[in-house]
Amino acid sequence: MLRKLKERIFLCSIAIATFLTVFPLFHILFSVFSKGLPVLIEGGVEFLTGTLAPPDDGLGGIGPAIIGTFVLTFLSSLIGLPIAVLTGVFSAEYPNSVIGKATKTLLLIMMEFPTILVGLFVMNVLVLPMGSYSAIAGALALAIVMMPYVAVYTEQALKEIPFIYKEGAFALGLKRSIVVFRILMGMAKKGIATGILIGIAKVAGETAPLLFTAGGSSRIYFAGLDKPVGAVPLLIYQLVQQPYENYHQIAWGASLVLMLIFLAIFIPIRLSIKEVKL
Amino acid sequence: MNAIETVNLRVWYGEKEVIKGVNLKIPEKVCFAIMGPSGCGKSTLLRSFNRLLELNENARVEGDVRLFGRSVYEMDAVEVRRRIGMVFQIPNPFPHMSIYDNVALGVKYNKLVNSKEELDEVVEWALRKAALWDEVKNRLRDKASLLSGGQMQRLCIARALALKPDVLLMDEPTANLDPVSASKIEELIYELKEELTIVIVTHSPAQASRVSDYVAFLYMGKLVEVGRTEDVFENPKNELTERYLTGRMG
Repeated sequence: MLRKLKERIFLCSIAIATFLTVFPLFHILFSVFSKGLPVLIEGGVEFLTGTLAPPDDGLGGIGPAIIGTFVLTFLSSLIGLPIAVLTGVFSAEYPNSVIGKATKTLLLIMMEFPTILVGLFVMNVLVLPMGSYSAIAGALALAIVMMPYVAVYTEQALKEIPFIYKEGAFALGLKRSIVVFRILMGMAKKGIATGILIGIAKVAGETAPLLFTAGGSSRIYFAGLDKPVGAVPLLIYQLVQQPYENYHQIAWGASLVLMLIFLAIFIPIRLSIKEVKL
Repeated sequence: MNAIETVNLRVWYGEKEVIKGVNLKIPEKVCFAIMGPSGCGKSTLLRSFNRLLELNENARVEGDVRLFGRSVYEMDAVEVRRRIGMVFQIPNPFPHMSIYDNVALGVKYNKLVNSKEELDEVVEWALRKAALWDEVKNRLRDKASLLSGGQMQRLCIARALALKPDVLLMDEPTANLDPVSASKIEELIYELKEELTIVIVTHSPAQASRVSDYVAFLYMGKLVEVGRTEDVFENPKNELTERYLTGRMG
């Protein structure tokens, strides 16, 4: 009797703990949709394409921030992905070399590294010498945030390939470069693609590394690589600090847009992971 | 001239010596079986022939392996593996590639042909040699992972043959196959040894007696007995060999 009671209490406490863990997620989803959707409907297409309204005067749009997010994500992928994938290949192929071991450890540290420090670093090496916030500085900061995720996933995907395939490939008299890039990476492509998407999803929603690098822009769409650029998360951060009611509304609308961008990247990831784990 | 000859071959994994001074002469165009109980070093010995052991960072080799008189350790590893093909215990065609590409791959990247037509010819030739052509000729573009286990293993044989090697190493090629598929592979060995040297590793004395002309018995990393298959089976000179062949060990 007592034992059954204990089991009940145990189960109940697990259920409560689980609920407390996932409750914030649902609360976020719910409040973003309930407060953001009316803004999106009211603003219409203009909300996605237009520029920011003046204080206390309608909604305008968050076009520059959306374009900025795409520009930053694209540029950071351009910088970060090739390096990250090669790094992953290296640490998978030479796991016992000194550099290989060090790389793996450093990647894991980088993954957990406070992203605001990445922003500070890029500010020091790029923004201060250039004398201005810029798209390229924002992209570099995001690339640094993205790289460890992509590298670790690439390494993992390559390591999961059974050794017999590697033996089979080398037994055909193929050079290491062909074995790795044509055969092993072909076999690991789903895992690598997953890592790339996770990296992209991660940076599409980042704010901290952009604070001291991208600068933000809510009225000019895109002026050039060396000019400040907007980003949706950055815009949200800036809008909620303003005392104007309409800016808070725009921030909710922008939050919904950000969430939709994130989900558009994240849902394919979940689906592809399901395919990888046979 | 011998296809393969080992001279005082020793192999270590870390501190552990697994091949303890093996001297072996494998004549040209025969089927040579290496048999012995699990863990005796058969697969390791085989992988020292085509320098595949080098994929294992812990492995260390001493002594020499000669391919038609030339030390493989003085040749480029890529060239050694091109001339010594290998088929593995678990059929390992590349699952993300088509049947055609699996066979064409080695030929293409080793630049052994000059045109698409030539490549097509080599692929067909190899698949015919591996007795797989009739089963796959209408589905060359299908993924290799769609084949049955026996077909996959014959595809691996075709893949190795496409490079026209002098020697084909087979590491327990039928261990994971059903009896019908296994007997097809054994028939294939019979035909192939007319044209190239086959070295097959097996833990089954019955298989060794069926397919091989010469047999070596390896025990705990040492060569216990070697000779013509009928001699060794009918009249083993060593007591260990006799115990192994009569099923009292292994």
